[in-house]
Amino acid sequence: MFWRKRKQSDFTAEIEAHLELETERLKEQGLSEEEARVAARRAFGNVTQAQERFYESGRWLWWDHLVQDLRFGLRMLVKNPGFTAVAVMTLALGIGANTAIFSLLNAVMLRELPVQSPKLLVLFGKGRAGGSNGMLPSTELYSYPFYREMRQKNQVFSDVSAMMSVLFARMHGAVGGRAELEPMDVQLVSGSYFSMLGVKPVLGRSFTAAEDEPGGGHPVAVVSYSWWDRRLARDPAIVGKTVTLGSTVYTIVGVTPPGFFGTAVGESPDLWIPLSMEKQVSPGWNGLDDKTFQSLFILGRLKTGASVEQAQANVNLLAKQIWRQHVGPVLTQRQQEDLQHAEIELTPAARGLPHIRYGASLPLQILMAVVGLVLLIVCANIANLLLARATTREREIAVRMALGAGRGRLIRQMLTESLLLALSGGALGVGLAYWAGNGLLALVPHGPEPLPLDVAPDARVLGFTFVVSLATALLCGIAPALRATRIALGSSLKEGRGAVSAASGTPLAKALIVSQVALSLVLLIGAGLFLRTVVNLSNVDTGFNKENVLLFGIDPPSVGYKEDLRVVSLYQQIEQRVSALPGVRAASISFFTFNQGEWTNWVSVTGRTPAAEDDMMVTHNVVGPGYFATMGIPVLLGRTFGPRDTAASPKVAAINETFARRYLPGGSPIGRHFGLGRDPTHSNDIEVVGVVKDAKYQDLRERPFPAAYYPYLQLVQYVSDFEVRYSGKPEAIIPEVRQAIGQVDRSLPVAYQGTMAEQVNRSMAGQILIARLSTFFGLLAAFLACLGIYGLISYAVTRRTNEIGIRMALGAESSGVLWMVMRESLMLVAVGVAIGIPAALAAARLVSSVLYGLKAADPITITMSSLVMIAVASLAGYLPARRATKVDPMVALRYE
Amino acid sequence: MSTQKEKDRLELLQGTLDLLILRTLIFGPQHGQGIARAIQQTTEDELLVEHGALYPALQRLEERGWIAADWGTSTNNRKARFYTLTRAGRKQLVKETTKWRRLAAAIGRVLGPEAREG
Repeated sequence: MFWRKRKQSDFTAEIEAHLELETERLKEQGLSEEEARVAARRAFGNVTQAQERFYESGRWLWWDHLVQDLRFGLRMLVKNPGFTAVAVMTLALGIGANTAIFSLLNAVMLRELPVQSPKLLVLFGKGRAGGSNGMLPSTELYSYPFYREMRQKNQVFSDVSAMMSVLFARMHGAVGGRAELEPMDVQLVSGSYFSMLGVKPVLGRSFTAAEDEPGGGHPVAVVSYSWWDRRLARDPAIVGKTVTLGSTVYTIVGVTPPGFFGTAVGESPDLWIPLSMEKQVSPGWNGLDDKTFQSLFILGRLKTGASVEQAQANVNLLAKQIWRQHVGPVLTQRQQEDLQHAEIELTPAARGLPHIRYGASLPLQILMAVVGLVLLIVCANIANLLLARATTREREIAVRMALGAGRGRLIRQMLTESLLLALSGGALGVGLAYWAGNGLLALVPHGPEPLPLDVAPDARVLGFTFVVSLATALLCGIAPALRATRIALGSSLKEGRGAVSAASGTPLAKALIVSQVALSLVLLIGAGLFLRTVVNLSNVDTGFNKENVLLFGIDPPSVGYKEDLRVVSLYQQIEQRVSALPGVRAASISFFTFNQGEWTNWVSVTGRTPAAEDDMMVTHNVVGPGYFATMGIPVLLGRTFGPRDTAASPKVAAINETFARRYLPGGSPIGRHFGLGRDPTHSNDIEVVGVVKDAKYQDLRERPFPAAYYPYLQLVQYVSDFEVRYSGKPEAIIPEVRQAIGQVDRSLPVAYQGTMAEQVNRSMAGQILIARLSTFFGLLAAFLACLGIYGLISYAVTRRTNEIGIRMALGAESSGVLWMVMRESLMLVAVGVAIGIPAALAAARLVSSVLYGLKAADPITITMSSLVMIAVASLAGYLPARRATKVDPMVALRYE
Repeated sequence: MSTQKEKDRLELLQGTLDLLILRTLIFGPQHGQGIARAIQQTTEDELLVEHGALYPALQRLEERGWIAADWGTSTNNRKARFYTLTRAGRKQLVKETTKWRRLAAAIGRVLGPEAREG
């Protein structure tokens, strides 16, 4: 059915046959040849009309019209290259911005995993937690024994797999027996992982069920396609090659298909290794036979026909049995209650584990709204351009209507033109978005490297852009098209230039300007709120001095260090050597620094019973003696750590003010004791030796939180952070620090991770991104609105040239003329602002959760933004108004 | 240019042409000119059927699948496009005929017994 069933020629032949037959019949009745022919024709009626009606009955007539319209539209656009260029560029900007943000939104929030039937995947819990949880029962993280039993006994999943809840990022390993170590991201997964997802390797094989058996006997790895491509130049003989991590040599058995990035959005492991190798990969994580080491995510694939509700019922029934066994025969009151209330929620995992989705959703939605508003303003702008052009085409349209063109047909023609504009803008916009996509990702400062996300436009993004382009075409084209075809033929054909037309432009044009001003103001106020939020966050007292501190990462387990005194002596030597460098004021090892993860646990204090679940919770850090000097955290009471705090001496800790105030009230906390954990019978063996100032630990917005620091000599740990306080230029210090560490252990991988100030900025990356983009788009919107005002007033001045001339000839002051013209644009701006402020207030309430240190209805921001809007809009109106005062009355009057 | 006689002819009611065509085709395949002639003859020239108006109707009926068409040869050996009633067309004819009869009867009842002309 793609073309007319019958050809026009076939129809013509039929009519001819008809006329012949009729002529013949009439001849038989005795008419002459000539008479018969005429009579046959008369009986038939209008042949052309019949043919036309046949033609119009074709179902593809609209297609013919469309082709005509497109051809004509293209001619019109090519004839006005200036107009076309401005309109297409503006549209490209508007649609491109929407495409770019939508690509990001799509990659983070909408795209399904590239695995088999992703809709059948469910996650145990919400995927919010990470790390490990020692409290039974845990409904977010699970132990390895729990996973094994769940996989074996459930009746609702076709398969179940588990993965470590944290990615072992930037581990250092050697590829193929090479000497140098390179960073790689490692994900531990159960043997069933790939087969459950239905991911077939492009080379080699995935894991086997046997490789799920604990014992460390399966040093195998599957590598990602992108890593194979990036690091090994797609070596076809990769299967069988090795990767050495720490002291274990892993054999590469397979390569995943391109596009597969694992199951967590925002992560992209280079290597997958069986969970059974947990102890070998990371000696600190040893939970294979530990029922209380709950550190895994569990993913299940529903059996066909099984509903989530059924699965949830089955899983919870089974989970309670498993937990009961794991807790042991004797249950405390509390454990009994916990078990009773524990409920595992199965969440759909078609789009993978949420990870960055939690943090990124709201910012992305805000940005999407921002670019949506920008597109509306673009539409208003283009609509105004089209309106203005329709006025210049009045004569053309009048002629065409006089010649019999239907109004509907003309509207369709004009809509086709705006469609052409919008689609060209859309096509250019996709290019723009493609180009901006990676730049946008780099703007999301997530770590030293950009977020591993594929933001290249896919079918969904292209579909989105297409629909947006169509909607844009309708939105900006319909009003001008309706307006342009509603004209009085007579006056238009007479080329009547209204001698005096008081109004500048139609009510529609004015309404468009008002809406542009209002929308721009909404964006400007939003931008102001986000900018002030960033300023407020930057002014937050972090409790430490973020200036002049360099951050390094070290990786002792990758070169064979165990958690014993050898690693402690490594820390000491590094601190000593680096501290001795000229230009280095202080240096310290630490478990964490700001916004690099945390270790929280309960503490017990003699004579104090916890009131609630989160009571007595403390964030812990393990540091070197120079930590407080390096970070610039003031010591308020007592002392920090020194040579006397050794592995053999009594355990000590430094606590922050909040810890002291909340958990050790009444008298000096110095010399008092506490213990780690929740056990009420704890010996509380840690002595408080110092109190330091409160600091921010995870986030600039966080409220004061109890914290405790321990010397690494007494709490032996792998640590990966190393901070250096310097004076002078960091460029000179960085290589010296590397060299000094190299002198301690040449093989130890060291990575420079930027300054502490950068680290602080990274923690408000989302804020900075929103502020930057909304400011950019707010200014763009205001600029477009100003262009609109400028165009409208210029046009009005041109149309009123002789009116102005007469006024001036009659003695009007130029200031009077200026005011007369300005008044008009000021009115429009005033109305726009009056509408924009309440609209902005309503919109700001929706984003109040991302604001910091100010209310959504912040009077300063609203006043400033409004003033900016009024100022630039007035300027846009002033320029053409000034031209009006330069009108020479003589010229103006002769002009007519 | 039209004679008095032509002016006296009845204008076709909307939709009746389709019915007439279907009815004509019940006697076997026929080409457009034949259909026009047949309608004129059976109605004794009472109905005004402009031959040209027949073709859009034929086109429409063909698209709905009520009639089928193919080129053939007429009795006097000319090529012509012949239309045949399809099974669906036959059904439609029965339906339309019933409808038309009921309509005519109803209108007849409203108008009452035929008045004497004068």
